[in-house]
Amino acid sequence: MNDYQLIILADDKQVVLERILQVTRYRGFLINGINAKVNTGTHIGTIELMVSSDRPIELLVDQINKLIDIKEVKVDSKTQQSTA
Amino acid sequence: MVIEKKQTGGSLLFDVLQQHGVQHVFGYPGGAIMPIYDALYDSDVEHFLCRHEQGAAFSAVGYARASGKVGVCLATSGPGATNLITGLADAMADSIPIIAITGQVATAAMGSDAFQEVDIFGLSLACTKHSFQVTNVNELENVLHQAFAIALEGRQGPVLVDIPKDIQLATVNAVLNDAVNLQNKVKLPPANVGKAIALLSQAKQPVLYVGGGVGMANAVDELREFVKATALPSVSTLKGLGALDPDNENYLGMLGMHGTKAANLAVQESDLLIAVGARFDDRVTGKLNEFAPNAKIIHFDIDTAEINKRRAVDSAILGDLKVNLPALSVPLSIKPWQDKCRQMKHDFGWQYDHPNETIFAPAVLKEISEKMPKNSCVTTDVGQHQMWAAQHMSFQDPSNFLTSGGMGTMGFGLPAAIGAQISRPNDCIVTVSGDGSIMMNIQELATIKRFQLPVKIVLIDNSKLGMVRQWQDLFFSGRLSETDLSDNPDFVMLANAFDIKAKQITLKNEVSAAIEEMLDHNGPYLLQVKINAEDNVWPLVPPETANDKMMEST
Ligand SMILES: Cc1ncc(C[n+]2csc(CCOP(=O)(O)OP(=O)(O)O)c2C)c(N)n1
Repeated sequence: MNDYQLIILADDKQVVLERILQVTRYRGFLINGINAKVNTGTHIGTIELMVSSDRPIELLVDQINKLIDIKEVKVDSKTQQSTA
Repeated sequence: MVIEKKQTGGSLLFDVLQQHGVQHVFGYPGGAIMPIYDALYDSDVEHFLCRHEQGAAFSAVGYARASGKVGVCLATSGPGATNLITGLADAMADSIPIIAITGQVATAAMGSDAFQEVDIFGLSLACTKHSFQVTNVNELENVLHQAFAIALEGRQGPVLVDIPKDIQLATVNAVLNDAVNLQNKVKLPPANVGKAIALLSQAKQPVLYVGGGVGMANAVDELREFVKATALPSVSTLKGLGALDPDNENYLGMLGMHGTKAANLAVQESDLLIAVGARFDDRVTGKLNEFAPNAKIIHFDIDTAEINKRRAVDSAILGDLKVNLPALSVPLSIKPWQDKCRQMKHDFGWQYDHPNETIFAPAVLKEISEKMPKNSCVTTDVGQHQMWAAQHMSFQDPSNFLTSGGMGTMGFGLPAAIGAQISRPNDCIVTVSGDGSIMMNIQELATIKRFQLPVKIVLIDNSKLGMVRQWQDLFFSGRLSETDLSDNPDFVMLANAFDIKAKQITLKNEVSAAIEEMLDHNGPYLLQVKINAEDNVWPLVPPETANDKMMEST
């Protein structure tokens, strides 16, 4: 299993978090932690997602990027480490 | 042009639909969508009442696939909305642009377990490309414009718009903005084809692997030009059928679980696979790590997430196929390989000689394919008859073969044919179904009756859930569990009850005349073709097996 931290910028819509969690679970990533806040000035939400999986993180990044309300997905490289 | 008009949310819906060119919708009314149905009463949009919301969803899918336009379906809240789910999942798996409009309980009642309240917005997350719930009538117009844009742009797909009852009734000062540009394709950087050209010119045994994306991208002409320039041996997925010219000498047919021996062997032996709008589905690849084991991969797609999803690629060409395919059109010198592929195509061609008097379904479907008018459209259900149709009928365009590919949904064929017939009233629409599948949306015969749709229904009747029976025989020691349908209804009588002309045939010598009678008949027609319950679909690549280890008829 590898651990990753994703930093996701999204339009501030109620359902965005649900969409991200659904895709993350469906694509085979375990959620270890989540941190989400909204910048009321810009209406942009920032979601930090800690996940682990045997699957390459690009698979999840590509799928989250496909969600319509997502602006950007970054993998925090410092957090990429193998726990296997 | 901007028009201002005071109206209800419900009537605004139909104005926006018309603005996007929607003439026909499929649906079923109910409490929470009554204001929309009331607005429909005054609208020029034509509504087709289906007899189950699943039928409405599949008719919208068939409409979209046969015409290239967006299909639209309507349903009420709760059970009406959940009945759409299978159709949405099917459209999602096959990337079909449909818009589902659902009524919802009034905003004040939402979240209170109100009568016929279900969280369809929540349910839609896993089976739509995107979904909306409109909680302010002033957002309705923009949401609908976005729904069309999202359904059509990039990789197409289904969009759901959930509209609470009070929003349908609310007055809105609508500003009918110009419809947003629908061709606003996802912006991708220009593809770098240098590496792909190098791979292609070095390859000695390249194969072109064509998927449903070609039809979706409207790139059939570009693909055929590409094939002309390169003379590549080519294979197709189920959903790609029709994209390649079936009469091209280098075309080897469908690959995968029920693919032709020539197609599967060529792919397994290839040193370069050029995947175009295809996604390495498990029904195509068989055992993934033994699929085309020596091949490098060039992958053309519009969806970044398909690249490296199941098979690592050597060159990815992202973006519009219409632009990118011509960039790779280079002449190749691969004559020995072409000769070998053509030889395999010749050596492993289909056999239609079949002993005894009982009817051989592959031969029937081939004959229908040859006799039906040009530009006919065939839909199928799911099972053996579907695979026989894919193997033995031929199509000049993907919009002429509509089958549930990704989801494999029984019940697809009849309502999809209804949608196809409504979108193409002058074309012959044939649906090939099985005695199991047809019962899954049999109520749609009433839709055919009401609108006098001249759909031709070819019912391949083996009195079994044939495909499951085949697997039970081959892989579960012949323990036939729950696959017997020998107590089927009298299908001829059933069709007649809906004023549909019908005939049953059981012998080979009845086939030709019956096909002609069906095709010559002006209205709807059901031809029940009784076949041997033990007939199997061949070849068959068993599950988790490499594609060159196919089982063949003995
Ligand atoms: C909705 C749905 N339920 C179950 C299945 C599983 N399934 C696949 S093929 C098949 C049998 C289909 O029987 P029939 O329509 O008679 O076609 P045949 O295989 O006999 O040609 C079944 C049950 C499915 N694909 N879809």
